Parts: sequence; structure tokens; C-alpha cells
Amino acid sequence: MDPSFDLPDSTDWLNTPLSLLAPLESSLRCQVCKDFFNNPVITSCSHTFCSLCIRRCLSKEGKCPACRTSDQELKLRRNWAVQEFVEAFTNARPGVLDLAKKAARGDVGLEQPASKKRKVEHGEDRESDSVGADGVRTRSRSRRLDPQPETGIVEAVEDSQDEDFIPEDGLVACPICNKRMKNEAVFRHLDACTGSASPNKSRNLGPLQVSQTSRSPGNNTTEKPPGRLPTLNYSILKEGVLRRKLRDLGIPDWGAKQLLQKRHTEWMNLWNANCDSKTPKSMKDLLRELDIWERTQGGHAAAASAFAPPSVMRKEFDKEAWSATHDDDFKRLIAKARKKSEEQVRTTIPKMEELPSESSKAAADGPVTNGDKPESPRLPSAFLGPAEVASNSAPSLGPSPNPEM
Amino acid sequence: MASTVAQKRLFTEYKNLATNPPEGITAGPVSEDDLFLWEALIQGPEETPFEGGVFAAELKFPRDYPLSPPTMKFVGGGVWHPNVYPNGTVCISILHPPGDDPNHYEHASERWSPIQSVEKILISVMSMLAEPNDESPANIEAAKMWRERKSEYDRKVREEVRKGLGL
Ligand SMILES: [Zn+2]
Ligand SMILES: [Zn+2]
Ligand SMILES: [Zn+2]
Repeated sequence: MDPSFDLPDSTDWLNTPLSLLAPLESSLRCQVCKDFFNNPVITSCSHTFCSLCIRRCLSKEGKCPACRTSDQELKLRRNWAVQEFVEAFTNARPGVLDLAKKAARGDVGLEQPASKKRKVEHGEDRESDSVGADGVRTRSRSRRLDPQPETGIVEAVEDSQDEDFIPEDGLVACPICNKRMKNEAVFRHLDACTGSASPNKSRNLGPLQVSQTSRSPGNNTTEKPPGRLPTLNYSILKEGVLRRKLRDLGIPDWGAKQLLQKRHTEWMNLWNANCDSKTPKSMKDLLRELDIWERTQGGHAAAASAFAPPSVMRKEFDKEAWSATHDDDFKRLIAKARKKSEEQVRTTIPKMEELPSESSKAAADGPVTNGDKPESPRLPSAFLGPAEVASNSAPSLGPSPNPEM
Repeated sequence: MASTVAQKRLFTEYKNLATNPPEGITAGPVSEDDLFLWEALIQGPEETPFEGGVFAAELKFPRDYPLSPPTMKFVGGGVWHPNVYPNGTVCISILHPPGDDPNHYEHASERWSPIQSVEKILISVMSMLAEPNDESPANIEAAKMWRERKSEYDRKVREEVRKGLGL
């Protein structure tokens, strides 16, 4: 299956020593799409969603999906703080998660991140091994406070200095063109700076520079300034007028009025959400997104699945085949049902112990068939680690979704 | 393939349920080709006549999920319940969008919203097994029996549960 199916999500933190980052990550994700906020906007009722997600909700229901207060897309406002949170968190995420997973496997202790490397490089650690456990900790800790010993870390810093060499000339670099000048001259220079850069400009300036250039007009965006599209009162528009409007907007104009209407709504939402973006997409990209919509929910979608009526269960259910594939699940649950008495006391841990059989079955026929991605939900190794059992039974984890009955 | 919001979200929910499943509930897509069709197994809640049973259901998601809710149907029979149609289709407020209230009684706050989830649906259905909603009978006969002849209702449910377990 497509590797993009291995989507990161907040449960990646469970079963690591940083499981408390799971709720933090959840709070940085949109409740509608469950992805990180993308162009977050805040509603009149102070709920935050991706711009596109809330626009689609408002087109459909006219209400905030979190509290069901009526709202209008015109009242949405960008939420820059949340956007910055998300950017900072997603930048830090891979490295932190990697460290957390190593710690969960015991490769590295989070309390002593550099200890392993130091042991390899410094022979004197071996002599402290003969000291009692407490002694080791005290000594290694005091060594870490020592200004010199962190060879690994110091080397890393030196490496980066090598790449972005800063001469010790007492001067500072202009943040735009990187020309070196006296500190007090920078502000005056900035007024006149043409931005003609030295070759390594963009690398030295890093993310700041990237976002500045992408914000500037004309960089990979549509030529038009991003004017917002107004909502239309479809009920008073004749079909021909609506069709012409679609043509004027540059989007497909075929289909019956109901389809034209839905397509216009989707386009308006895509367009207006793009106006909320710090790095707007091109018209071509937006048209591609409209095309995905067309194929899944619009005029090119299979009618039956696109507008599924309530009676979707038309086909007769093949009970035999289904129970065959669910044999393990059934056995597990039935076995559980039969020996329920002791179970009321021991709740979570027994369940985790039983998971491997389920997941190995699932790995065989579940949607995720790859065996090399530890984050995959059905991969047995994702369940097996003792650290996982421990953290899953920790009371702070898991919203304890079992209903009170 | 995970190109649409619906697919990404369904996969995320699936991963969540697989990693951190609620007690007594198993759920996931039937096959890797179609994230829009799920199967679920729900354990009968304790201290109810459904106790000891394991109930299989099919969930079908619309292309604009989560804007619209899925439908849910118990398969293989055996769920004798006021809020379950004789064909197995579950009738519960969380599965109804606010604009569409077939029963004209439900509070909008209980109904579907894009911030609800498969997990919340399945937990609601578990609660529903324990506490039928008398106001919206989908199975009128079961509702009447539950209201008027509780012990007969309990006996019939337990009988169906035993049959379902192959006992
Ligand atoms: Zn979203
Ligand atoms: Zn709200
Ligand atoms: Zn300059």
C-alpha cells in the first residue's frame, strides 16, 4: 500500500517516555480532518480549525462543528499563533520522536542523552562502572556539567560553524543581502538594501528568509492578488447564469444545476482557504484539488458511493466469509466473554497481552501490509514492546474510553 | 491513495483505534482497497442481557466524511433491541446529521458533527445496548416488549446472544 498511508498521528507518542506529548499534539490538530492545523482560522465562538475544513462545514451546516453555534465564513479570522505553534512543533517532531522511540527501546536514556556516546569515547567511564549504581549516576551527571566533556555535542556545533563560517571581524551581516558591516550601520543600510545577495544567502538566513520570499507577491502564486470569492445565493440564480459564472472563474461548467452549485461551493472554499495561506498555492494546484473533488464527490464520482443514501447496506452480507476473516477476533472476544469474572479486576493489561494475535492476523489481511514501518498500526512490533504495555496501563494515558454503564 | 480528507481522516482514526483501542471494541477497514467500508466488533455491556455477547457490525462512510456521518448495521442478526431495525441498521442520534432528524425528538447536541468519530459512535452504540432509547423505536416490537414485558425481553436477548456465540 501507498507509504503515505503511514500517517503520523498523536498516538505515535504513546509507549514512549514522552507519552504526555500525545495530548499536546492532539491539541495542535484540527478536530475535523485530524491533521495538523493547516491555515488555522478562529470562529466567532473561538474554536480553531483549518481554514478549508471550517469553510466546508459552514457551507454544509452553517454551524461550528465543535459547539454548533451558527457562524459565517466572513467572520473567520486567521490564527497566526496556532500556525506558529504548528510549524514549530512539526519541525521539532521527527527528531524528538526519534529520540523518544530510541529511549523506549532502551537504546538511549532520555535522562542521559549523551551517555552512550561518551562511554564509547572515554575509557574512564569503565572505571566508574565498578562503582555502585548511585555512584555512576552522580559521577556521570557531574561530568555532564563539566564545560568540556561533551565531545559529540561540541563537534556538532563546530560542524555547523564550519559550514556557515562567520569571520571574527567585529562586523555583522545584513539579514537580507548578507553583506558585512558595522552593527550601527545595519538599520540605515536596510532602507536602501536591494537584496542582491551573496551566493550563500538563502542558506545562511534559513527559515526566516524562506518565509519572507514566499510571502512576497509573485513567488509561485497566482498573478491575481488573492481576492476572496463571495458566496452566491444559488436559489435566485438561473442555471445559465451560474454556468457562465463558473466559466468566468475558470472552472468546469458542465453538469446540472445541483452539480454546478456544489462545484462552485467547493471552489469558493478552496479559493478562500488559499487566501488564508501564508504560502498560497497556484491556480493550477487549486484546479488539481478541484479535480480530486470532482472524481470523489463531484460529477465524476460513482453516483452510488458519492451520494450514499441511508440504505447503503444493499448487498447481501456474506456472513461466512466475514466470520472466516474475523475468526481470531471472534475467538478472542468470545474467549473473553466466557471468562469474564476475573477480568473486571484486571482491565487494560490483559487486553494488551492479547493484542499480538490480533495484530498478526491483521498484518496478514489488514490494509497496512508493509512490514517495515514501526509506526504502522497493525504491525505486531508496534504492540509488543514491554514499554508499551507499561505505558498503556498508566492511568494518565488514554481517556479511558470505556463507557460507564 | 490517501489523497482526500476523508481517506486521511479514516486512516488516522483506524490507526488510533488499533493503537489505543477502547475496552471491548475492535474496528477497522474490511480491506485495504476501500477505507470507506469498516467492520466492527462490540462486546455486550456487562450487567445487561447483552453481556457475554460479541456483536459484529458494518460501517459505511460517505465520500464527504466527516461532514456526513457513516451508517452502521449489525450483521449476522442477533441484536434484539428497540433502536436496531430488524435488518440490523442502527438508529441512534449520533448517526444522524443535525439537519436530518427522522425522529423529530433528538437534541442537536447529540447528533453527528464532524468532530465526532468512529470511536465515539461505537461507544455510544455500546451505551445504547445497555440503555435503549424508548422515544425512537426502530424495532417497534422489541420496544414494546422492553417497555411492557422486561423479563421476556431480557430472556429473548440472552437467547439471541447464546445463539450468536454458537452455544
Ligand atoms: Zn482540518
Ligand atoms: Zn464553536
Ligand atoms: Zn542588505
